[in-house]
Amino acid sequence: MKLKKLLAFTLSGIMMLSLAACGSSAQGEAVANDTGATAEAPQEAELNIMMSFPQYMEQWEGYCRQFEEKMLAEKNIKVTVNLEMPSSDQYETILQTRLTGEDAPDLFTLHSNNIGTYNKAGNLYDLSNEELAGKIYDNVKETVSVDGHLMAVPIESQAWGVLYNKDIFEQYGLTPPETLSDLKAICDTLNENDVTPFMLAFQEQWVPQLMTGLTLGDIVSGKLTDWLDRMYKDEGSYDEVREIFDVIDLIMQNGTDRAMEEGSEAGSADFANGKAAMYVQGTWAANTIMETNPDMKLGVFALPINDDKNCTLVNLSTSTTLAVYPDSKNLDLALEFANYVLDDEDSSALFQSCSFNPLASCHNYESASWVDEASKYVAAGKAYQDLVLPSSVTDEQGRLLQEYYVGSVTVDDIVKRLDKAFQDANALN
Amino acid sequence: MSTKRRIIHTLVYIFLVVGALYTLFPLLMALMNSFKTNGELLTNVISLPSKFHFENYARTFEKMKYLHSLVNTVLLATISVSLMILFSALAGWKICRTKTRLSRVLFGLFVFSMLIPFSSIMIPLYKVTLALHMKDSIIGLSFVYAGLGVSMAIFLYHGFVKGIPIELEEAASIDGSSDMQTFFYIIMPLLKPITTTICITNVLWVWNDFLLPLIVLSNNKKYTLLLSTNTLFGQYSSDWTAILSALILAALPVIVFYALFQKQILKGIADGAVKG
Amino acid sequence: MNNKKHPNRTLLIFCAPALLVYFVFKLYPAISGIYYSLTDWNGINKTFQIVGLANFIEIFKDEYFWNSVAFTLKYVVVIVVLANVAALTLAVAIESLPKYKGLFRTIFYMPNMISMVIGGYMWMFIFTKVLYYMADNWNFKFLDKSWIGDPKYSFIAIIIVATWGAVGYLMIIYMAALQGVSTELKEAATLDGATTWQVFWKVTFPLIGHAVTICIFWALNSGFQVFDVIYALTGGGPGRATQSVAINIYEEAFKGNIRYGYATAKSTVLFLIVLVVTMLQLNITRRREEEL
Repeated sequence: MKLKKLLAFTLSGIMMLSLAACGSSAQGEAVANDTGATAEAPQEAELNIMMSFPQYMEQWEGYCRQFEEKMLAEKNIKVTVNLEMPSSDQYETILQTRLTGEDAPDLFTLHSNNIGTYNKAGNLYDLSNEELAGKIYDNVKETVSVDGHLMAVPIESQAWGVLYNKDIFEQYGLTPPETLSDLKAICDTLNENDVTPFMLAFQEQWVPQLMTGLTLGDIVSGKLTDWLDRMYKDEGSYDEVREIFDVIDLIMQNGTDRAMEEGSEAGSADFANGKAAMYVQGTWAANTIMETNPDMKLGVFALPINDDKNCTLVNLSTSTTLAVYPDSKNLDLALEFANYVLDDEDSSALFQSCSFNPLASCHNYESASWVDEASKYVAAGKAYQDLVLPSSVTDEQGRLLQEYYVGSVTVDDIVKRLDKAFQDANALN
Repeated sequence: MSTKRRIIHTLVYIFLVVGALYTLFPLLMALMNSFKTNGELLTNVISLPSKFHFENYARTFEKMKYLHSLVNTVLLATISVSLMILFSALAGWKICRTKTRLSRVLFGLFVFSMLIPFSSIMIPLYKVTLALHMKDSIIGLSFVYAGLGVSMAIFLYHGFVKGIPIELEEAASIDGSSDMQTFFYIIMPLLKPITTTICITNVLWVWNDFLLPLIVLSNNKKYTLLLSTNTLFGQYSSDWTAILSALILAALPVIVFYALFQKQILKGIADGAVKG
Repeated sequence: MNNKKHPNRTLLIFCAPALLVYFVFKLYPAISGIYYSLTDWNGINKTFQIVGLANFIEIFKDEYFWNSVAFTLKYVVVIVVLANVAALTLAVAIESLPKYKGLFRTIFYMPNMISMVIGGYMWMFIFTKVLYYMADNWNFKFLDKSWIGDPKYSFIAIIIVATWGAVGYLMIIYMAALQGVSTELKEAATLDGATTWQVFWKVTFPLIGHAVTICIFWALNSGFQVFDVIYALTGGGPGRATQSVAINIYEEAFKGNIRYGYATAKSTVLFLIVLVVTMLQLNITRRREEEL
């Protein structure tokens, strides 16, 4: 009996479907005719946007609705914005698949370090002559430009280093370290008081990779200024920057347990709840941290790598940027949206609700205390522009640090494998 | 003898109960903790919830656009499987009944591709769907599933038809029935057992498939249950209560489907495997 | 009666819809996939060059690829043995019961109904929260392991989840086969003085040989292509320690240097490996079935 029911159910389902399909296609035609008929009716258009940060989905969906209203009111265009937000680990896969076809999204986010690759493939529209170009602060603009041409709208830009819990630091009379010895002393004090110094959340490769991001930047800006250029010419080696493992070892030895089972967001939440005093993580984690514990006193300091104070610097980087696809069918509208992201009236509210840092003259909100703290380093000239490594090398660094934490590779292996990854990447580009 | 047997039975029961608990453990833990607040979950994951917080579900239900995604998934599974069954029954029957070199070639052509890994066809397949303007189309995606699924289905139909006596068809043909009439009035009813099998295995496949819809459907109004669950994971990656309630909601339809049709499903799976 | 005169024409008419979708959505993509494997296309550039067999030559020197092959082989061996032994044991146990057969069968098959994406997340919760809770509060120290991070244990975790997902399916097949073995034969053997153990190996097992072939075939084929479970649990990490071939291909195509052409070359190699191994297996088990 049940079998019959199943079949009947399936069949009725198919019939319903075919009816529904006929209905909807008829409707579609009617709409199409409508728009052509009257001149007064608003013009219809569609805009496809792909973004990589689903944690800010609500804020951006709201902003897209605002944009739709604005376009309808000002230009008499009825825009439908389709916002696609895959989770971040699948984002690149989907973006690449979309770009290979004829249906790239009109706008999409990408990491500023990938601007070069995507620009070379002809996937980025030159925004230099747009209104927004004049608003972006110069030091940020540099991170999203290629040969002086603005290739993307910066969205998340920050000066970052190590996050720390000010309450814990105050309780034990600690101040941000200026040298590696200072940092060691801090760890000792904390350990004596049964406070875990570092929050470790290594499940996702990009989190341990932040340690190489910070330390390589320190060393290259502080002393080995030509290292990266030589790496790109196959003339350098990671052996020269081996020193970075002094501080990496220190962090790993003084961190929380079960690091490989801890995701980045979980790490932020645990850090907010006081599980550890410091966390090597950018200020982009502030949103989760402050949501978990609104009373948290969050601070930022520059990560020292040795006892040379000139090497203790914060990293200036732009992570997420928004690019316009040059062959977009709605290029004008896409550019409208790009400009709207840095709109004089509405942009501040959006950036503030996502806890993004101010990065253009249109942003008139007060920045968070931890942002100010990091900005002090920048004002004192103790900052460097994030290094641009081939993305395969960046990935490899993350992988190797996971393996290093687990103990399956030594520093010698790491040096060898990173040199090879860099040479492979050079050979391909 | 009989006490010995009783002891053996008891031991077997204990073994199976332990096994069953282990099998259900992840589901039960997810269910139990999905009713807690995040704070309660973090302090004790083993206890029963002190109070049932249905608001976790209310929130994920809304965030996932649950009903909408559910309808999408049902549509996708129904259309895909209907197409697959129709196309492959027609082909499987004729290939089996025609004894020419061409029929052998066709059979081989369909069957050999069963081992092609999906990763190697993913990007070219995506390009094909774009060229045919099938992106964001549930009906279009259904045709893709039909294309990917016909091999196995034809193989099964082919095997099943071999066991049906040809006399019936011959008699119908003498009575003046055309091939199409014979197919729909005589063959299709006879194929019902294997059709159920094919229907069930493929509904489950389409329902639980992730990568293909992920690349073909970009508009979240067209998302399947699995895709909207996945989006929610990104949005609430540090909030286990949100994730667990989403997992339960996503698993619920299949569990209900299973509860209703478990006899057919289990028989169908067994038949499908043995024939294959 | 033109179908008698032109059997091939009718055949083609009946096969047309199936052939069409099959060609458009499977065969053509597969063939163009092979074409891309001869190029240096990176998946986003608009232009690319044909590089001949260079990609295939490079595979031979690609240490990471062969490590992933080794990992996959290890996985396949363990999963084929473990899942089949577990499934057969469960099937025999359930079949030996006078009551509650249906209930147990229903429960054990349940994980198969659920997508591995969903199941993977549920297990993630177990491995990162529940087991540690037990270890910390109930003093179950043996659970205090790095289930995701330490390659030794994450392999176990992967196997646990994969077996959890696969056993039900195999069990159903074994149960169907066991039901086909006549009770008279078994009773006759018992009367002749054979122990239960002997009856199983001498009478029952040879008669379910076909089911064994199917189950091994299925476990082999899906084992070689394993992706979901690993992707959900460890993502192939730490580092590359739990990378299966499918994960390695995925990473090559979409991460880092995004070498799509090279990745399709690898998946062609994967296809060949699967083809050879399953053919070998089918040959061997068929011969054994005939011997028995």
